[in-house]
Amino acid sequence: MSTISAGVGATPIPIPVDSRPVKGNHPPGMSRTCDTTGLPVCLTAERFIKLNAVAAVVFLLVGAVAALLLALTRWPAVHLLDTVWYYRILTAHGLNMLIFWIIFMEIGILYFACTSLLGSRLAAKGFVVASFALMLSGALLTNWAVFFTGKADVLLTSYVPLQAHPAFYAGILLFAVGALLGVIAFFTTLYVAKRDRTYEGSVPLVTFGATAAAIIAVVTILHGAIALIPAFTWSLGWTGVPDAGWYRIAWWGLGHQSQQINVTAMVSVWYLLGTLSVGAKPLNQAVCRGAFVLYILFINLASAHHILVDPGVGASWKIWNTSYAMYLAVLASLIHGFTVPASVEVAMRKKGHRKGLFGWLFKAPWKNPGFSAFFLSLLIFGFIGGITGVTLGTQQINIIAHNTLRIPGHFHATVVGGTSLAFMGLCYYVVPLIFRREYPMRWLARLQPYLFGGGILLLSMGMSFAGSYGVPRRHWDVEFSGAQFAAGFDAGAHLMLGILGVGGVIAFLGLLVFILQTVWAVFLGQKIENRPMTPW
Amino acid sequence: MRENEDKHEHLQDVRQKLQESEDDHHAPGTLVLALVLLVSFAIYYFANWKALADVWHVR
Amino acid sequence: MSIHAPEAGWLRAPGGGERLWIGLALAWCVILSLAMPYWHFKGKQNSTGEAYRVTAGEFMERVNRFVAAYQVGEEKGVPIVEPPPGSDAYLQASMWRWHPILKLKEGQTYRIHVSSTDLQHGFGLLPMNMNFQILPGYDHVLTITPTSKGEFSIVCNEFCGIGHHLMTGKILVD
Repeated sequence: MSTISAGVGATPIPIPVDSRPVKGNHPPGMSRTCDTTGLPVCLTAERFIKLNAVAAVVFLLVGAVAALLLALTRWPAVHLLDTVWYYRILTAHGLNMLIFWIIFMEIGILYFACTSLLGSRLAAKGFVVASFALMLSGALLTNWAVFFTGKADVLLTSYVPLQAHPAFYAGILLFAVGALLGVIAFFTTLYVAKRDRTYEGSVPLVTFGATAAAIIAVVTILHGAIALIPAFTWSLGWTGVPDAGWYRIAWWGLGHQSQQINVTAMVSVWYLLGTLSVGAKPLNQAVCRGAFVLYILFINLASAHHILVDPGVGASWKIWNTSYAMYLAVLASLIHGFTVPASVEVAMRKKGHRKGLFGWLFKAPWKNPGFSAFFLSLLIFGFIGGITGVTLGTQQINIIAHNTLRIPGHFHATVVGGTSLAFMGLCYYVVPLIFRREYPMRWLARLQPYLFGGGILLLSMGMSFAGSYGVPRRHWDVEFSGAQFAAGFDAGAHLMLGILGVGGVIAFLGLLVFILQTVWAVFLGQKIENRPMTPW
Repeated sequence: MRENEDKHEHLQDVRQKLQESEDDHHAPGTLVLALVLLVSFAIYYFANWKALADVWHVR
Repeated sequence: MSIHAPEAGWLRAPGGGERLWIGLALAWCVILSLAMPYWHFKGKQNSTGEAYRVTAGEFMERVNRFVAAYQVGEEKGVPIVEPPPGSDAYLQASMWRWHPILKLKEGQTYRIHVSSTDLQHGFGLLPMNMNFQILPGYDHVLTITPTSKGEFSIVCNEFCGIGHHLMTGKILVD
């Protein structure tokens, strides 16, 4: 029996180590047992989880500085960057956050889910090494193109006929191939674990969720190749310009699917953090797994909701793809939105916190940043991200939302307040358990999820309300200074942009605290040897 | 006498197991939160249809 | 726990609150699925994406003919054009202007053909906040009926280069 404590002063929760005899398949000396969870750790997996996590945080830092500069530009009273740099930094922000930070983290999560949770070694080491090398080179190459050629101010979506320097596309393609190799290593490990009988019965739920994410990742990467290779060859002058409408559909096959990877990974991390922080157990495994299967089956067509007010695509296609296809994936999210907090509630009630309807919630370990980040992520994703997303993705409602700030208002709640915040919560366990280092200023770590979550909430609300006045996204000057015909927005919209600015600054502080603390912990934090981590 | 004591202990065991198995699926607070989500969703959703209905006609 | 293999026999139906919630969520998703087709037939705002292939040269020609036929004035060098109610009107999006200014009548329906002669642009009509994607090579037909009078701004909301924020236009309705 090993124990994980749930919060300062709380009674340690026993996490029963699976006591059935299993055959670990690690080569001698290539594994250790975690002193906190009792789970086996493959040392190869550990090294590459660390590398991917470090890379993730490096690109997060680039994206974070970009975020601050952007928030201070869209806040009209500050209007910091000039026209050229605004679009350049916006390009860098999208790439580093939505692609590099998040996918490096997800590869790390995959490696954890197929090794420690299955008692297996990480297989296909050649692929693992190549994966990291390609992902890192790709990310560096694209960033170089954006910052140093001046020829890649095309924003994340690089909508044709906007054309970027070939290195822009090449970097993203390299990164995508690298990610695919990591995903293949994950599937190979699943096979090897099954073959070597390192576990019995079905895979744990977190591994099941990670598998769903990996399957969606393959589809995503294929779309990325389909969209970007023709754009790349066009930028080299080898082929003609791709059709603008076709490109949007193909690109969003990459773009939306990658969001579904982020959702699936986030939900898997929710289950993991629920278990680690309060000993939560899924109420019904069939329901949770079924919901993950719905994600795989029904998200592939739903990228239509980026094309809702496009020409050349009929209403029936738009409606079919956004409803039948998407709503079953929405159902899956609604299901997880219940099962995840329910598992926490049941775990807390079991520990004796039975007072009224919400005693379990008040007594939950809100001082544990792994828990608070996880639960805040759940609330922000569900209430703000989910509701706005389904609404904006309605064919007709999209008319009053497309290309306004309502769109970033939505996705900052899902992918930032949701996925990224959950991943930060995960780091509060990864650093002590994989890097085996303690966080330095624990009071600051406890505060960080609230600082970041609160900032993102303000940012998202500011964006959404400004957007409902019609304030465009990806736009340098909402006063349209110098334009031939005057245009502008009411004072209310300006107030909302100010709130966006303030929220952005607060969120940046929360992000900076996380990055600095994590980097400090990894390199200078107190080592954890032969003892469990200090409980949060 | 001993029989009654045994029975009493047994009954207590059964009661405890029943309580535990009920607890295994008892999440009323979450149900309330989820219902609040659904209601907020419906309000936001229909408010947007209303806003849409006020703009120019287009197809 | 979510990190351990599930106990044998985990494949079973949900019960209690979980089952109730799944039922409610499913019912809500069905309502969501019905809303769009309903509005498609009964609602007055839809995006059917009606479009035709066109080259930049062809489109500019149609715009010029349209302006020549129905111009009634000009503002800051941009022609003001008043198409007959029920007819086709043309609007060109280029870096970085909207050409021409349309003068429409409230309550009348027009087929407005919008296209780009260079990059992707976003047609954003304020303050109603109506937004449509404008692509080069596509003549996007918006069958619009203005329901209010006044002067309305068009802004571009799809990034189209350094002059993106300068790209504003007008629609007049009386």
